[in-house]
Amino acid sequence: MKILMVCAGGMSSAMVVRAIEQEGTKQGLEMKVKAVGIYEFEDEIKNGWDVGLVAPQVRHCLANFQKAGNEANVPVIAMSPQCYTPLGGARALAEAKAAVAK
Amino acid sequence: MNFIMTFIEKVLMPPMTKISTQRHIMAVRDGIVASMPFVIVGSVFLIAIALPFDAWKELIKPYAQTIILPYRISLGLISLYVAFGIGYNLAKSYKMDPLAGGIMAFGAFMMTQLPVNVGAEISKIIGDNKLGVVGENLTAFGDKMGLAFPLERLGAHDMFVAIIVSIVAVEVLRFCRERNLTIKMPDGVPESIARSFALLIPVAIVIPVIWFFRHIVNIDFGVLIMMLFKPLVVAGSTYIGALVPVFLIDALWFCGIHGDSVVGSVARPLWTMMIEQNGAAVLKGLPAPHLFPEQCLQWFVWIGGSGCTLGLVVMMMFSKSTYLRDIGKVSIVPGIFNINEPVTFGLPIMYNPIMMLPFVFGPLIIGTTTWLCMAFGWVQVPYILVAWTLPAPIGALLSTGFDWRALVLSMFNLCLMTAIYYPFFKAYERKLVADEAAAATSTEHYQL
Repeated sequence: MKILMVCAGGMSSAMVVRAIEQEGTKQGLEMKVKAVGIYEFEDEIKNGWDVGLVAPQVRHCLANFQKAGNEANVPVIAMSPQCYTPLGGARALAEAKAAVAK
Repeated sequence: MNFIMTFIEKVLMPPMTKISTQRHIMAVRDGIVASMPFVIVGSVFLIAIALPFDAWKELIKPYAQTIILPYRISLGLISLYVAFGIGYNLAKSYKMDPLAGGIMAFGAFMMTQLPVNVGAEISKIIGDNKLGVVGENLTAFGDKMGLAFPLERLGAHDMFVAIIVSIVAVEVLRFCRERNLTIKMPDGVPESIARSFALLIPVAIVIPVIWFFRHIVNIDFGVLIMMLFKPLVVAGSTYIGALVPVFLIDALWFCGIHGDSVVGSVARPLWTMMIEQNGAAVLKGLPAPHLFPEQCLQWFVWIGGSGCTLGLVVMMMFSKSTYLRDIGKVSIVPGIFNINEPVTFGLPIMYNPIMMLPFVFGPLIIGTTTWLCMAFGWVQVPYILVAWTLPAPIGALLSTGFDWRALVLSMFNLCLMTAIYYPFFKAYERKLVADEAAAATSTEHYQL
């Protein structure tokens, strides 16, 4: 599963990236997770991702991200704040899966 | 309490987040972000000449001007980077050729600059005076220099000109494209050539217009715009002006919105200007003119992240609540480097009524101690821009050119803020410990 995450500078989400990757590997999925900053997202989402996850602190930009996602045909969702910690991998992955399944 | 929360969420948040996602503001933000790697690397050279060792200072004295050149071509020429960056990003947001936008903006900005004819100026000064060899040398020097752009104007001084002119240039580009005012090359013409012809008409509009107003009518855009922004710049150094961003950023973070990113998208041009002018002044041996650049917030208020949560994280690590302990442990390393999302969303602070008072209003108190120290000259005003991910006391030291009092202030504020958090933290901890005890006796599993 290929997940692209976006937060302000791509730094805080880098911590969540590891949590999601670990959770995915535990579930036997082949994972590729990457974190980018708000100004990189629009270009990066075109590069074959399954889903875009928007960090809660930049959810006010969600509409912009979803527009870019629509153009690339990739679902883009806002993560719930509860899974935006290094302990929230399981829940974040569940949210990503639900978005892809839709 | 509820009233404040509703106020933040319903009144403060919507317009601010709306502004920060506005197309032009976003282009300005991204344009400045693009220049940051240069600025951070260039600033290292400024730190190098500020190293607090007399022997070192003596040693490098003859080379100081050479050593700081990387600084002068980064932050010292910030307007050039910003013009290109804004033009590029704005054009991209309109789905136009970004390179075209970048060079349009760059060229338009350069047209606002007045080169000095050094040779002519020198002969004007010498006039009919016979200065002998000195006069001959001066004339020869002037002839060799030819036309020169005063670098000072390409730094922060004309940054707002760069911002405005870049936006105008790209809007002209867009106007021409929408009205089909472009010269189209037949198929088969290489793309790079077709591209340069597509720019011909927009450039033919922008360059002569700026040339006319700047060089014929002689309107100095830089001076004019500085005059307009002066009240805002002055206000930024007043007590209230310094604390408004502190409050807004924390109020937004309390709603889980990236406050720095939102407030910074509007304030960062101003903050960048402040730190550049502080650096330029200190290099000339003058006091830094702007008391409260962003670095004051960064190193003395946002210790461990917005809301100054580092002390809170340490308390969490030793908490009686298992949950708080777990979150504290994963939050400490990012916290040292000023990343505190794990606390904000994990504790959570976001929408947590118990944590609102210390998180939103506590920073106003350490903001006050900081402002007082700057206003009374007890601590050197920051004048060097260093990467925000450094641990705060180190950043404070570097940013002030190694003023040990900056280190003391940073540590003092951290302790003060930890004390402010303490009672609220204890209250929240009691609640969680009770919840955990209840969960342990019931079958209900505590879910994150």
